[in-house]
Amino acid sequence: MSFDRPKEILKPVKRRIILLSFMLAILFELLPLPDGAQAWLPDFTGLLVLYWVINQPRRVGVGTSFIVGILADIASAGLFGQHALAYSVTSFLALLRQRQLIMFNLGQQALSVMALMFINQFIMVVARMAAGSAFVGWSYFLPPLTGALLWPLITKLLLLPYRNLND
Amino acid sequence: MDFANNPSFIRQGPSPAARLALCAVLSVALLVSDSQFGLMERARQGLSVVFYPLQRAVNLPVTLARDVGDFFTTQASLQTENNSLRNRHLAMAARLSRLETLERDYDALRRQNQFKSVRHDAGELAEVLYTGRDPFSYKIIIDKGEDAHLRPGQPVVDDQGLIGQITRVQPLTAEVTLVIDKTLMIPVMLQRTGARAILYGYGGGVEVRYLPVHADVQQGDLLVTSGIDGLYPEGLPVARVSRVERNGDTAFIRMVIVPVAGVQRGRYVMVLEEKSHVPARPAEPVAPVQKTKKKSAEDEDN
Repeated sequence: MSFDRPKEILKPVKRRIILLSFMLAILFELLPLPDGAQAWLPDFTGLLVLYWVINQPRRVGVGTSFIVGILADIASAGLFGQHALAYSVTSFLALLRQRQLIMFNLGQQALSVMALMFINQFIMVVARMAAGSAFVGWSYFLPPLTGALLWPLITKLLLLPYRNLND
Repeated sequence: MDFANNPSFIRQGPSPAARLALCAVLSVALLVSDSQFGLMERARQGLSVVFYPLQRAVNLPVTLARDVGDFFTTQASLQTENNSLRNRHLAMAARLSRLETLERDYDALRRQNQFKSVRHDAGELAEVLYTGRDPFSYKIIIDKGEDAHLRPGQPVVDDQGLIGQITRVQPLTAEVTLVIDKTLMIPVMLQRTGARAILYGYGGGVEVRYLPVHADVQQGDLLVTSGIDGLYPEGLPVARVSRVERNGDTAFIRMVIVPVAGVQRGRYVMVLEEKSHVPARPAEPVAPVQKTKKKSAEDEDN
């Protein structure tokens, strides 16, 4: 079945790689993108938070997610705390089922990640609407779908530095 | 070793639930303070300063690429842009000139309107449709006729003075003979002195014949309708004396007279009521009708 990936022997993950990945994701938020792209591009920061929470639960937990969320709030010029709240909640949910999630194959993981990203968007919509903004339309829920599609690719990419290629 | 999956046997701080509670409370507090009280503005400003170099750094490749792209803009694209701009310019110029025409029309109409409100005998506002085809007669066609109860003989003015007289009325249009037409004669007086004269059109201009050399006429005198014909209301400006020549060789004064009204320009004219305060004739009731008939007949003769 799907117990292939965890059995792989990987090099230990360095802390600076985690930091660097978060930094890149935040920088990506700062990129000037055409208007159409914003509608469907996934929330890479959110995906990375989930990735590290699922794969390195003892390094990246609720607190880290919160801090990354604050940074994402500033980078995306949103309300203070909307990303923070969403990331904290979803990373907590991911932590609850982390041992299950890590055993899933990539397709199953992508499905669960999609659900978590939906929760992310939902929390942010609720936060914004509670703060008085108008509903932005259902296209706001498109990024989780693209994010789930990209999940296998992101996983493979982030595993790349830790593969033992010389055996 | 993939120690990510190994359960942690050592307790590391508070449980995830407690952390979540803390973080959630914190973020809700942040949300509320930001959205409701705007307390985070200062923090946001500070952090944006921190982020600014990052933002610039991230934007740098994009701006660079754009600059390079601008530099290599092809001639074709420049040309198409130039063409489209030129087209746009032409269209704009056409629109602008139309606007100017509209503005002029609007001004004229507004002045006519003012005129109409000042004069109590002002009648029908009409638009000039076209000028008569015959180059020897100076006539214009206006867009009101029997439908507006116009009658031959009514004076036609613009906002500055007399233009002419209605000489023919069709169902929907009317023909106005201008004061400069050869067939039109208007009893006038010098506004300054009250001396009466008759203004003749001669086909392209107006003149006053048979004023003696010693008549008191000066350059700039205004000729207004005298009103003694029972047709034109008195006091309508008609023409202005622009030059006076007194030669000994003729018995009469020679003057150059220019109509004051926009006789051959302007698009809107006003048709006035005929002078109405002619004393009514007693007795036979058919008389007034006969009189107007006779008058219009006279005008036709003119």
